[in-house]
Amino acid sequence: MTIRNTIRDHGQRFRPRMACLKKAEAVLLEMQDPKTGVKSQPQRLVITTIPHAIMGEDIVAWLADRFNTDTQEARSLGCMLVAFGYIYPLQDHKRLVLKPDTSLYRFQTPYFWPAQQWPVEDTDYAIYLAKQNIRKKGILDLYEQEQYSRLHKWMNHKWDFIVMQAKEQYRAGKERKKPDRVVFDCQERAYWVVHRPPPGTVSAMDYGLNRLVDPNAEEVKGEKHYTKTPDFYERIMIFTQQSIMRPRVKSSVSIGAMVKYCTTYKNHDPFLAQCLPSNPWVTDDVTYWTLNMTNVEIPTKMRVERWTFSFGELLSDPRGRDDFRLFLKKEFSGENLAFWEGCEDLKWGTAATMKDKAQQIYKTFLARGAPRWINIDGKTMEVTVKGLKHPHRYVLDAAQTHIYMLMKKDSFGRYLKSPVFKDTQKKAISPDQHQFSEGQLEQNAKKRRPSLSPIALRQREEEQRAKMAASGPVDITQLCRFTAPVPHLSVYSGISDPPSANASPPLPFLSHTPACPSPISVAIDSTPASERRGGGNAAREGGGEYNAEGGGGSGGGVVAGSKSRVALSLGRLLKRGCAPSAVFASLSPKCPAPASMSSRVQPISTDQPAQAPPRRIANFFQIKVDIPPECRIYPIDSEEEEEEEVDSRRGSRGGEGTKEIICPWESLTPQDGTG
Amino acid sequence: MPLVNNKVGDDVTGETDKALVDEQALVESLMKVVACYKHLASCVGGCTDTLQLRNELRQTREKAQSLAVACCQRLTSRLRDKSLPEEDRREMELLWVAFSSGLELLHVDLCKVFGMANNFCLTNTDAFVQTGMQGGGSKVAARALSLPDLHASPSPALPDSLEAQETSTMEQEIHRVDCMIEDMELKVNVLRWTVEPRGGRGGPEAGDPLSSSDSVSVTLLSLQEEGQERGGDPPHRHVFMALLLCGAALVVATLSICIVLFS
Repeated sequence: MTIRNTIRDHGQRFRPRMACLKKAEAVLLEMQDPKTGVKSQPQRLVITTIPHAIMGEDIVAWLADRFNTDTQEARSLGCMLVAFGYIYPLQDHKRLVLKPDTSLYRFQTPYFWPAQQWPVEDTDYAIYLAKQNIRKKGILDLYEQEQYSRLHKWMNHKWDFIVMQAKEQYRAGKERKKPDRVVFDCQERAYWVVHRPPPGTVSAMDYGLNRLVDPNAEEVKGEKHYTKTPDFYERIMIFTQQSIMRPRVKSSVSIGAMVKYCTTYKNHDPFLAQCLPSNPWVTDDVTYWTLNMTNVEIPTKMRVERWTFSFGELLSDPRGRDDFRLFLKKEFSGENLAFWEGCEDLKWGTAATMKDKAQQIYKTFLARGAPRWINIDGKTMEVTVKGLKHPHRYVLDAAQTHIYMLMKKDSFGRYLKSPVFKDTQKKAISPDQHQFSEGQLEQNAKKRRPSLSPIALRQREEEQRAKMAASGPVDITQLCRFTAPVPHLSVYSGISDPPSANASPPLPFLSHTPACPSPISVAIDSTPASERRGGGNAAREGGGEYNAEGGGGSGGGVVAGSKSRVALSLGRLLKRGCAPSAVFASLSPKCPAPASMSSRVQPISTDQPAQAPPRRIANFFQIKVDIPPECRIYPIDSEEEEEEEVDSRRGSRGGEGTKEIICPWESLTPQDGTG
Repeated sequence: MPLVNNKVGDDVTGETDKALVDEQALVESLMKVVACYKHLASCVGGCTDTLQLRNELRQTREKAQSLAVACCQRLTSRLRDKSLPEEDRREMELLWVAFSSGLELLHVDLCKVFGMANNFCLTNTDAFVQTGMQGGGSKVAARALSLPDLHASPSPALPDSLEAQETSTMEQEIHRVDCMIEDMELKVNVLRWTVEPRGGRGGPEAGDPLSSSDSVSVTLLSLQEEGQERGGDPPHRHVFMALLLCGAALVVATLSICIVLFS
């Protein structure tokens, strides 16, 4: 309004609507009523008395009475009025709080009220500072001096005007009577404390960004603004049609859902329930935040309770996810979570790395014989693989949802009953409520420090992830059949791709675990495979779907141990190129599933026998185990080998297999069983 | 006064100088009126808001308008004059900047008073905020109108139509100022950021030496703070001042005795 800018610069310069101001004005007018308002008294100064001073405790009492609340609430309301500048303190004018004692306040004149439509101009502030300068002969507060210099720099062209106007205002002020002059000076000073707060204080006028649209302007200037073209009506029609087509839910159902949500979460809401130990925004004590950090060892009871609400809650809390991962590792079904995380990574990652990530995920989780093969149904697999020909961010969405539902329906329930979770629950801490005195609160306020920068946090996360990945992925699920696991040696499997090969942070594999001392005994003692994702096992074995060697499939899931015994013998078998399925069926008594494998996975076996027996051992495991030389497994060289895939597929490389996972979109020859 | 231009020259330049001085005087009086208007506006809605205040506001406003119009015409015509010498042009631009900024301030104040007058209607004086002002004397308005004194016209009754009239008048005036500002922008293209101010930093050296009455108000303000904390210590203050005076008197007496003795 003041700066006439004939150029339409579409700048954001309007303060957002602050509805509370109008309400505060109404309250204030009631308060100042000489008959029914707060009782006022004259303020005695050295030479004169100035009327209409009110005491803090009177204000609080009046507010409590008027709004029928307790004194704490009335005090907060009073503080708000002071913070907005409707009442200003006469002593300690820089601290805009309401002290419920005999300290004096006065009402601000309406000219200096904060109002929506009167923005606070820097020119006025410059004039005010110049006036202060004149009065106090150059003794300004430090922050005022800084502001003064800044304004002098930015408004240099107006500076003559500013000084002139300051002098004129000063002289005009002198025409007033002394007490009035004092009052006016106080009023002006209070106004500027509100709108240009001293550093380190919190301003009630903080409203974030300026808006593009003037909230006081009319929204639609009547009919003149819109011309009623057919297009206009068409838009209205589309809008109403879409409103009709929206899916509807019965209000009883939706209200029921809301009620359920509220009852579940009401103890966890820091506004409605006490925050243990104390709410940092209120008491300036950050214990609550340190206790709830992402990588904390022992979570709080409230946090653990939250995990039980839903699977989504568990996954979205990093500490919960860690716990879940630990549980899955013990169950040997960590690849689901790993796949899910990989998909999240793909969705939220940078566009440049997307293609690589998609490939990586395919090779690790989805391809035939993948080391961490996940169990999704054929239709989804089909859709996904087709989509992977032209990968985009959401190409793995269907598979991810499938796996998510699988985890939710299956593993989540077991997790909640598992010893891992029960242990965490038992160890969770519940801190006591803080009791801070006023003095301690002030101390806390002084000791406020900024938190770690998000850049530093992100770097730390990346380092951790890199470390985890570098230490080698662990999935005891996939154990090489060829190895004779020596009990004392650690066994792990998985893709040995060095993390540096990828542009994106590597998939978070399970961390290296020490070997089960006797995998065999573990297998025997453990619960029968049927209870644990037997389907997954079968599919994996049958993910010997494509090869006699049945590299990846041999993981045989959970029952790692059961394979170990037969591993050696299998190796020999494979060399002889026996048919896979029968072998597996006979050799793995604990896995009843092989029979069903064909239903899960499209067997490739049709053309298996036709191929030369010692097909490449599609074995992707890097196993730090003493293995017989003939069964030495070599690490996969994914990137470099791709061009050779076509050849090596047919080529027989004897015992030295390079593992190739054929990405369907790369190979030129028609793939078997990939679709 | 930073804008005084002391030029000595021949008649022609003397004339232009005179014109320049005239314009400067106009702008300065506009500044004065704007400042006074602001002071008056700060009382609106407070306990000193009376019919008289509104009258004063109106009169000040009218004076400001007439000054603004005169100033505008003269400055515009001068600045559009292509044959203006360079130095004169710079002076004119300075005046122009001062004038336009002053006009903007006036516009803001007009809008504020308009809004407040709508909310605080004179018929319901109870709603006026008890600000601690005691009013009295129309010295500020007198200063604005450059009159030695302002006699309050006794008008006990407040005709209803007056309010409505005021509102419409104010709207018109605000609109007029609006138009003036816009016209100014269109007619004269002064690049504000190229204008160099004459004054210095406007820091301590730009301050007037405080007169004694103001030092009192300064001390009043600071005392207000300390005094309240101590629960008011006037007696001690008085004693201290008395002691100081006695000490000064003693020193003077001793000196005079010495002079007498040694002369």
